[in-house]
Amino acid sequence: MTEVATKAKRVTLGGLNAYYGDSHAVKGVDLEFAPNQVTAIIGPSGCGKSTLVRCVNRMHEELPGARATGSVRLDELDVYGPSIDVVSVRRTIGMVFQRPNPFPTMSIFDNVAAGLRLTGTRGVKLRERVERSLIGAGLWEEVKDRLDAPGISLSGGQQQRLCIARTLAVEPEVILMDEPASALDPIATLRIEELVEELKQRYTIVIVTHNMQQAARVADKTAFMLSGELVEIDSTERIFTTPSDSRTEEYVTGKFG
Amino acid sequence: MPETRTHFRDELQRLEAQALGAFDMVTEALERVAEAIRHTDIELAQLVIEDDDRVDGRYLEVHQGVLSLLARQAPVASDLRLIAALLEIIKHVERMGDQCVNICKLLPLTGNNPPTHPVMLDRIVEMAEQARSEVAQAKEAFARRDVGLAEDLVRQDETINRLNRECFRLAIEIGDDADIREWAMHMMLIARWLERIGDNAVDVGEQTAFVVTGLFREFTDASHPEPVSPGT
Repeated sequence: MTEVATKAKRVTLGGLNAYYGDSHAVKGVDLEFAPNQVTAIIGPSGCGKSTLVRCVNRMHEELPGARATGSVRLDELDVYGPSIDVVSVRRTIGMVFQRPNPFPTMSIFDNVAAGLRLTGTRGVKLRERVERSLIGAGLWEEVKDRLDAPGISLSGGQQQRLCIARTLAVEPEVILMDEPASALDPIATLRIEELVEELKQRYTIVIVTHNMQQAARVADKTAFMLSGELVEIDSTERIFTTPSDSRTEEYVTGKFG
Repeated sequence: MPETRTHFRDELQRLEAQALGAFDMVTEALERVAEAIRHTDIELAQLVIEDDDRVDGRYLEVHQGVLSLLARQAPVASDLRLIAALLEIIKHVERMGDQCVNICKLLPLTGNNPPTHPVMLDRIVEMAEQARSEVAQAKEAFARRDVGLAEDLVRQDETINRLNRECFRLAIEIGDDADIREWAMHMMLIARWLERIGDNAVDVGEQTAFVVTGLFREFTDASHPEPVSPGT
């Protein structure tokens, strides 16, 4: 099987369609996520934005009856290519979910180390990588004296940063975030947003959000989806000052929900 | 889909209505300014000065309303452009009010029954009437989001500029009498303020175009003016 090369950074979707059985959830989307940029995907519930990002790291197909057509590329690499190792794809394209989901029985340390152990990392190198990941997720100072405590003993915001550390540990190139702050309080939300700003120095970031102000705060580019279609993608500034499409205008101004 | 954010939209409409109301205060002031100039009516001029407190009060209300909506409602896209434009527009209207006050403060300085030059006086009154008409047109263009009408303000403003230049020539040629020269100097200062009111009306027109198109551009570029042909 082909290992996904770690230098791949630009994500290019070409004519992407996604289905749940007969339901057509994503309709022929062409889209590019540029390296070292944050791209936000906004749109009403059921517009296909979460499905779209789940196609990027091939998680969509895990659901019964779900399938995707079209292409997803990491630089030149075809993510849906026949010889691609799906596990390797998901390591290279990490994902952070709406609700923090640390492994409930594991310590803080083991939560971050779990993925690394699967790849055979041990000893000093393992500890270094865990520390680096916790620093990268902005959590190290808060947990360095209690790495053996259960992951679920942390606050919601800390748990989410723990999950980000877990994603960072396996050295991804792209990070997909599906409503990463929607279960958090405003301060924890702002910490995650600060973190996103720092993470984009090293990664390509895609963030799905219901919170338009969050998109406005963190994203370089914003894409608007409606009924499975990509209506518009542009610089975040343009989307929130002078969107090109009247449907985007109506959505962001809250004229129609 | 059901319409949402109706409360916000109501507030925004109220704010716009408040700003539009300030234009009416200035057009009313300019009507009085024209009368006061024509008849050297110091009392009427004093009323204009006193009533400017209403324009200033309206400025504060709209300014505060804009800040409040920005803080509470996080407006975006066309709503954001409208709110940004209201902040600019109310500032222009407040300045036009101040310019009326400046004129009315100059009038008593011309003295009781000053010698006048009827042609120059006619031109100054004409300028005041033209300024009033431009302010009304700026309001109308904004209220209707009519970019064509807003752009036409540039053409209208040419009239004021032409009258201003004519007054300048008349003042130079007004003769040797010290009193009438002093009067003409005061009239030229008044003409200068009227000309500025016209400029502010054009600036409001530019905000109308911004709200509609999303692009801000100056209708005329004062630092790169087109050459003015002689005799205009």
